Amino acid sequence: MEENTQMTYTQAVTELEQLVQKMQDPQCSIDHLTDYTKRCKQLLDICRKKLTEADTQLQQILADMQEKN
Amino acid sequence: MNGQSLFPDPPQGMTLSALNARIENAISRSSDLHNQWVIAEAVDMRLVKGHCYMELIEKDPSGNTIAKISAAIWASNYGSLYYKFKNATGQPFGNGMKLLLKVTATYHRLFGFKLVINDINPEFTLGDLARQRQEIINRLTAEGIIDMNKQLPWTEVPQRIAIISAAGAAGYGDFMNQLHSNAYGLKYYTCLFSASMQGAQTVPTVLAALDRINASIDLFDCVVIIRGGGATSELNSFDNYDLASAVAQFPIPVIVGIGHERDVTVLDFVAAMRVKTPTAAAEWLIQRGTDALAHLNDLQDEIATTVRETIARAREQLAYYGTMIPATARSILDTNRVKLDSCARALPVAAVNLITAQRSRLERAVERMGDAVANTLLREKQRLQSLDEKATLLSPLNTLRRGYSLVMKEGKCITAATQLKPGDPVTVQFATGKADATIDNVNNQQQ
Repeated sequence: MEENTQMTYTQAVTELEQLVQKMQDPQCSIDHLTDYTKRCKQLLDICRKKLTEADTQLQQILADMQEKN
Repeated sequence: MNGQSLFPDPPQGMTLSALNARIENAISRSSDLHNQWVIAEAVDMRLVKGHCYMELIEKDPSGNTIAKISAAIWASNYGSLYYKFKNATGQPFGNGMKLLLKVTATYHRLFGFKLVINDINPEFTLGDLARQRQEIINRLTAEGIIDMNKQLPWTEVPQRIAIISAAGAAGYGDFMNQLHSNAYGLKYYTCLFSASMQGAQTVPTVLAALDRINASIDLFDCVVIIRGGGATSELNSFDNYDLASAVAQFPIPVIVGIGHERDVTVLDFVAAMRVKTPTAAAEWLIQRGTDALAHLNDLQDEIATTVRETIARAREQLAYYGTMIPATARSILDTNRVKLDSCARALPVAAVNLITAQRSRLERAVERMGDAVANTLLREKQRLQSLDEKATLLSPLNTLRRGYSLVMKEGKCITAATQLKPGDPVTVQFATGKADATIDNVNNQQQ
């Protein structure tokens, strides 16, 4: 999960899209379905979090920067 | 007193007011100084008690001022000229603009010389601004930088935004309010880099703000340059080569929202994204965010559908195999049965053929054998015959017939006298009959 929090939105959504594509491949083994679905859910959470949950650290950095302007 | 004054008359001169009156008179009567159309650049424009004062200048191609005069639009005329110009060009006349003006030269004995502006031709300025803008665009195109900012990739959702605006400007407030209070819970991170957004300080302060952003470029996804639209907008400052060049070559995408639909500046040609107003800039950013959220929802639906479909497909496949295996087995059996049948049918024919072939071979062998036997018999018969003939010739009987006798002792033929001794009983065989005898004497001598 450490690696997940470091991911950018673009990285997460790219992995998600690739995973969905992999799952849609008729060759996709049903054995992988559970793992893939779990990872998809993780990536969806990361993406949504990036969009809607405040990154207070970044907010603070920018507030400081604006003050110095 | 002979009328000669003690004090000589001082040299005579007319009063200044008289001279000024004469100048005033001369100018006012000179019809070619009345209502003349003149092209000039306006600088140092200022409003005082409703009157608009300015300096009109002319520059040579290298930028040196080669003519200059004071001018004014009286308050009685200012309102109508202001709106006439603004309606036609989308902006008020301002410093640095080239104007085509109808002027009358006036002279006031107290306030001096001044051109009074009676009319203005906005089409001229419009053309001149367009030409200036076109020149800048041509230069940026020739330098190959005009599309650089437009070609930069956008981050999926630009959330970290550097804003160039005047602090406290209405447009900035609108932007911030719109962006941060979006209804979708999208988070944006903003940092204001303040700059003067009108007047002579626009270009240097906006360039300085760009430099400050560039120093922390990794913190931002894009730059937004905004100013409140509104009646006082003075867009001329943004038609500037240095500014356009800096925006075009800026390393992250720039969104420009500095005017209204009708006002197009050079910045609009070089920025990655052009919107009409600060509010529109915020809406555009929010749209990117909601698009991303919608995309995530679509992906989630797709995942669910895919999982369902994959399981259904697997089940279908199983069912297919379930029905296919007996059918396949039947088909294999059928195929083999047909093969077997055809073998069974072929077998007697093959056997018959084989037996016939062997039989005829046997027959041929029997034939050959008969021949061989016959030949052999014949040959043996002939041989026997010849032997018989020889035997007949050599038979002792024939010899006996010729007068010889055969002496035998104890069943054995005696061929030498030494085989006998006197007294031995012998049998003498003749051609016909035999006689027994006894040996009297033996003579071993050879004859």
